Amino acid sequence: MFKVIGGRALPAARLLAPRCGVWVESVRGRKSRNDPPAKSKEGRIKLPPPVDPVEMVVMKERFTEYNLIMRALRLEFKEEVLRKKYEEETGSLAEERARQDAEEHKILMEWNDAENRRMLKIRQLRVQKETAEADQRKLEMILKRDHERQAFIQQKEQEILQLQEDAKNFITLENLDQRIEEALDRPRNYNYAIDREGRVVKRTVLD
Amino acid sequence: MVHLSSSLLKKYHKGYIVIRLALAGHKQANRPFYRVVAAFNKRARDGKYIEQLGSYDPLPNVHNEKLVSFNLDRIKYWMGCGAHPSKPVAKLLGLAGFFPLHPMTVTEAERLKVQTTDLAAGAEGEGVQEEEPKQQSA
Repeated sequence: MFKVIGGRALPAARLLAPRCGVWVESVRGRKSRNDPPAKSKEGRIKLPPPVDPVEMVVMKERFTEYNLIMRALRLEFKEEVLRKKYEEETGSLAEERARQDAEEHKILMEWNDAENRRMLKIRQLRVQKETAEADQRKLEMILKRDHERQAFIQQKEQEILQLQEDAKNFITLENLDQRIEEALDRPRNYNYAIDREGRVVKRTVLD
Repeated sequence: MVHLSSSLLKKYHKGYIVIRLALAGHKQANRPFYRVVAAFNKRARDGKYIEQLGSYDPLPNVHNEKLVSFNLDRIKYWMGCGAHPSKPVAKLLGLAGFFPLHPMTVTEAERLKVQTTDLAAGAEGEGVQEEEPKQQSA
């Protein structure tokens, strides 16, 4: 009705008086539960409002009629609500809608299946190609490895042969004396200069 | 946030639905405006409602009319779902013709008529009495 602070009705006894600056327009009930009634209300008897019996009879009739009509109206409305719901769920339009939904679903499912099949074919081709390529690469790898092994073996054989040939010129215990004799007989002079192009210079500063 | 379905909401609120007037727009003092609203019984008058079903402006406009609006289709639906109208809403709908005329409307009108006829009779009676003493005195 009137503005109340904080949305709750506080008894006035707990509110500050206006002189403190807090003001409230109006609050319901100045007295709290245990306060005694005032002296001016000593002999007061509270009575209900007076009722005219003629008017009351007429009113009762009118109310019974009114309630009857209201009940009938309520039942009508309830019936209408139920009928609408029934129509919504099992009416002709509902069947049409259900049929259309089913058809749409079927079409979409068919399209989906077609797409799946197409993708399957593409995937199979791709997988085939990939396996073929993988096999190819594996064969190539094997060949390469064989080649490399062969080359390695060849190289090693060459080295062995070279070594065998070099072994003919090695100095052994039997050749030792002979080779010493030969070395002493043929003195080698290493006192020369050579540059990167291979030009030899035999004349030195000492001469 | 869980949004409950209608049956769960009914179980939660454990009340019934009413069609009543809710005061709208508290931003202006001394200018009331009501919404006809379907709400749960225990909700605050101006609190959360389920659906607005119309409006009522209690102050008469320029042409001395008080404007009321109703969404009759939805009112029928809610009444069918078991909503109770409050007394002022029932009276307004009775005046609109959707419901039968509320007995209190008729009774109030009759009482008002009796009162006005009494006053008129009283005034006439006084006028007649005044004339008679004047004539007598004269």
